[in-house]
Amino acid sequence: MTLLAAEGLTLSVVIGGSTIPVLRDISFALQPGKMLGLVGESGAGKSMIGRIIGQNLPHGFRITAGSLSFDGTDLLALPRDRHRALLGDRIAFVPQEPLSALNPVLTIGQQFAEHLRRLGIARRERYNRAAALLAEVKLPDAASLLHRYPFQLSGGMCQRVLLALAFASDPALIVADEPTTALDVSTQAHIVTLLRRLQASRGTAIVFITHDLRLAAHLCDEIIVLYAGDVVERGPAKEIFAAPRHPYTSALQRANPPLSGPRHGLPSLPENMPGIGAFAGIPGCRFAPRCPVADPACRDALPELREIAEGHFARCSPRCLDGHAAEVALEPIIADAAIASGQPILRIDDVSKIFRAQRSLLKGGRPITAVRAASLSVAPGEFVGIVGESGSGKSTLARLVMGQEAPSAGRIELAGHAMTQAKTDWASRIRTVQMIFQDPQSALNPRRTIGSLATQALEAQHHREAHHAEPRAARQARALTLLRETGLPAELAPRFPPQLSGGQRQRVNIARALCTTPPLLVADEIVSGLDVLVQAQILNLLLRLRETHGIALLFISHDLSVVRYLCSRVVVMHRGEIVEDGATEQVFSAPRHAYTKSLLAAVPPDALDRPWPPEGIADVALGS
Amino acid sequence: MTATALALLARRLLTALPIMLIVAALVFTVLRLLPADPLGMSLPPNASQADVAAMRAEMGFDRPIAAQFAIWLRHLAEGDLGTSIHFRRRVVTMILTALPTTLELVAAGLVLGIALGIVCGMAMFAWRGTLREQLVELGSTLVMSVPEFLWAILLILGIGVGLGLLPFIGRIDPQVTVPATTGFLLVDSLIALRPAAFLSVLAHLALPALALALALAPLIMRVLRSSLIDTYLEDYITLARLRGIGERRILWRHALKNAALPTLSLIGVQAGFMFGGTLLVEVIYAYPGLGSLMVDAVRNHDLPLIQGIALTDCVIVLAVNTSVDILYLVLNPKLRKQ
Amino acid sequence: MPPLLRRVLTEPRAVIGGVILLLVLFVALLAPALAPHDPAEQDLLRTLLPPAWLPGGDWDFPLGTDSLGRCTLSQLIFGARVAMIVAIAAASGAAILGTILALLAGYFGGAVDWLISRAVDIWMSFPPVVLSLIFMVGLGAGLANVILAIVIVDWTRFCRIVRSEVLAVAKRDYVPAARLVGFSHLQIIVKEILPAVTPLLLTLISIEMGIAVIVEAILSFVGLSVEPNVPAWGVMIADARQYMYQAEWGLILPVLGIFVTVLGANLLGDGLRRSLDPRLVRRVAA
Repeated sequence: MTLLAAEGLTLSVVIGGSTIPVLRDISFALQPGKMLGLVGESGAGKSMIGRIIGQNLPHGFRITAGSLSFDGTDLLALPRDRHRALLGDRIAFVPQEPLSALNPVLTIGQQFAEHLRRLGIARRERYNRAAALLAEVKLPDAASLLHRYPFQLSGGMCQRVLLALAFASDPALIVADEPTTALDVSTQAHIVTLLRRLQASRGTAIVFITHDLRLAAHLCDEIIVLYAGDVVERGPAKEIFAAPRHPYTSALQRANPPLSGPRHGLPSLPENMPGIGAFAGIPGCRFAPRCPVADPACRDALPELREIAEGHFARCSPRCLDGHAAEVALEPIIADAAIASGQPILRIDDVSKIFRAQRSLLKGGRPITAVRAASLSVAPGEFVGIVGESGSGKSTLARLVMGQEAPSAGRIELAGHAMTQAKTDWASRIRTVQMIFQDPQSALNPRRTIGSLATQALEAQHHREAHHAEPRAARQARALTLLRETGLPAELAPRFPPQLSGGQRQRVNIARALCTTPPLLVADEIVSGLDVLVQAQILNLLLRLRETHGIALLFISHDLSVVRYLCSRVVVMHRGEIVEDGATEQVFSAPRHAYTKSLLAAVPPDALDRPWPPEGIADVALGS
Repeated sequence: MTATALALLARRLLTALPIMLIVAALVFTVLRLLPADPLGMSLPPNASQADVAAMRAEMGFDRPIAAQFAIWLRHLAEGDLGTSIHFRRRVVTMILTALPTTLELVAAGLVLGIALGIVCGMAMFAWRGTLREQLVELGSTLVMSVPEFLWAILLILGIGVGLGLLPFIGRIDPQVTVPATTGFLLVDSLIALRPAAFLSVLAHLALPALALALALAPLIMRVLRSSLIDTYLEDYITLARLRGIGERRILWRHALKNAALPTLSLIGVQAGFMFGGTLLVEVIYAYPGLGSLMVDAVRNHDLPLIQGIALTDCVIVLAVNTSVDILYLVLNPKLRKQ
Repeated sequence: MPPLLRRVLTEPRAVIGGVILLLVLFVALLAPALAPHDPAEQDLLRTLLPPAWLPGGDWDFPLGTDSLGRCTLSQLIFGARVAMIVAIAAASGAAILGTILALLAGYFGGAVDWLISRAVDIWMSFPPVVLSLIFMVGLGAGLANVILAIVIVDWTRFCRIVRSEVLAVAKRDYVPAARLVGFSHLQIIVKEILPAVTPLLLTLISIEMGIAVIVEAILSFVGLSVEPNVPAWGVMIADARQYMYQAEWGLILPVLGIFVTVLGANLLGDGLRRSLDPRLVRRVAA
């Protein structure tokens, strides 16, 4: 019997008097005990489906067609209070941001008690129930944990608590919206394992919402791929990942660089997924404007969702589906740049950084070692990756290179010159190395135009050297060159950052660092906030810059597959120390350090037949 | 929990002493910038040069400022704030007599203002997005544009003189008496078991307290409303809903506890400021409190009295801030556990 | 027209508040031409007259007279001068002093921040009205001293709020980014941070104008503001209070003058905040 069934579900929003369909014709059926993956980039509408189930749609959105039934009852027609009775009982939710999903002024115990009370569990049994649930998610020390507040726990612990809360009522359905996105890779593997175990022990059906096709392929029974509110493909999870039929699914699958095997270039689809405002202008397939194999008919009418194999549906033109046109040729394999021997552009020698915590009257500051005796070097034109989880000290290392922090010990050389914090070194430092910041929304002053941002370095130069005349025309010309080099249209120059898409903003961010063409760039997690196709565009841009300018790059990331794609050498950091340093292929195929091994094991592999997450990974108990 | 609170109290007391010392020195110096002779007003017009000099020497005004301050500090350590030039009475006695009057008034104003502010703030939140909210908002802007002392006058004109509903001179009817025990007339009349006197005190308190409350309530209302709106955007509210928790419980148990924090800090600041607001309100209602005393002292250039009252105000504000901090600690586990 | 200005001009509160303040300013500037009488001119035969439209009124004195037979309307009109001078001068003075200190404290942090924050703490351990009274006792009467006293007392309002905004802006990556492309600290403060806090600053200045008008009225009421012969709303209120049973209009009219001016300042401040504060925009959109 089907537990959750959607039939032709259409969600619309009213903007400026006209009704725009946001989700079009969504159909699926989820059986008890199964896991359904909703996969798509941000803005694809996957979270909206979760919000329809929870009836917490944003203002102005409503269902205009179709039906949604849960266990035989029509969810959409259910009165408010009867729907609410289902929530937290038969239908439970696991959120994306575990740290902000628990009330900061209530203890874990108070939040458990409230939930168990609502489930009708007698007061004296509540403690034992909570303790049993916490033990199930490998949080054994319930007595201490229940007295703590959410901010005293790590993100992984909060997510375990939220899992325990969600499964407390043995619900028939769980909606998990990006439950591991905010967590480190190894924590992600833990949470996923727990989720599966709890599901297996209770026969729960799960709607798993994620942007990560590979993760969904490992976890789910069935996958729905969404693009701009349309179901483009739907079918058995492994089949979708191994043999995608829709050109979008295929691009999505190949945009995530593999952890082994040949490194093909990543597909670069032009432009971005359209936003809700643009939907009205695309009556047909919303992917058609970017599709490499679209024909004029695609743009005029939305193709039918057609069953192409048993239980495998795709919404594409018959020409495409019958002729297998979706199998676009793979990009060529990329080559590593030839590394010039001789003097390195950056040399870090035995550098440590110790932070002293703010002293207070009550307790003295305890020094925290963020980086311990790190040594590495980067040759001109070399791309070096630094990987590690949050708190590993990789960002501190970047700040040390940039001179934003002074090393407590050791020596940093740029282009052969030892750098001090002295003012005289500052000018030569910023000539040699520039930084691309993680979050362009924060790194681009919203009050400056794109042109002025890209050439901000010239503005500073002009101020320093008063004789530097003809700034205006030279600056404009430079701005246009930089926009072209970073793949941005020239007409963006007079615009402001809020008017740009996330990917475009990150290009501006890169353009600014490129302005004075420094020989070395430092990039701190610059693709982590981007969708996978936009990420592919940015990665390709960086490779192109290496070709045209011979720039060297220190690329800091938590994402192993991205580092493998981009960098010829990789440095692994763990708790402030460099634990492994070597050629990328060697480190990835034969890691030596135990931490590198565990890090690699935590990433979902490309091969679907390899069981993932590894057995026993979640049995590590998190104590207090 | 209590340990953290005690630590906070200790830290507060430690920082309060230097602050008070600097404040005292600052006030002392500023008051002596005065171009006019502070004694001019308290001497008979026919006083001779010798009389003036003798008086200056008696009050210590012939010494350098630093020396005067040192003497003043030494006396302060003995609990002596000097003698009023104008009233010829000990400043400590005058302040202690006036203090309960002001504290009673401010307490009444605070209670009334907070109650009004919270009720209106929650009403405004409940009516968000409706015409009613706009009307309450407009009303609050109008109310906010009238300062306390003008409310005092308008309330007298409207309710006191116009409608003749409530008294507006003094703390109690002249023919009613209460034996002074604490100086707080509401308390004293209860101790003496005189309900008539209690009601008379309450009636006299109503208008000045309302004047103070009207200046405070709109601020509380706005902060509470906007912190409630902010809180409702938080993930934990959404998730509480998705756990099936009812709206009423979400408001009282989940949202208000968080939204109360910014409101509380606002109340802390405003409660201190209210001691400035009472100044003219007391004058206008002929309330024999610290405010009236200060205005008298200022009009007469009575330096020792001004100095004493200023220090008292500073002590009160610091005490209020400390109590609000401790309350904050109780309500915010994040501060408590760090 | 810049988009921000357009946002302000479509916000009714800002427009109404701005128009009110401009009207008061206009009256203050043209006081000699608008006032029917010399505000100091006494007519001892016609004292405590009600407004002209009431029984016993006289169209020579459209809004009546005070206890010395001075024209209430003329006093009100000239009183607007004191109010506006104090509002504009004191608000900008306090804004400049408070903002400079806030920028230094928020951007540089460390010892600078500690020192400035402790100064704010000391100032905040006093009800502002009491502090300005004390300054007036020390400085003596006069318009310039009133302005000075308000600036010295109220810079903390700016410093406190602007400092926390500077801290929030300095957390944005575009500040270290500007530093890394070679901006000097001064350039960063002037070109990156100041523009970001300007909307907040405008809001605070317009609210401070209202506060300055109130403080001046309080000081006049106590007799510690302008010289005795200068007409000021606070002085009018203090005088009229003694005759409130006979002539309540003399009391109500200057109260109305203060109310309208402060309302204008508050509406403008509210409107600016709504149209310029991005957080509020987000809140409305949500």
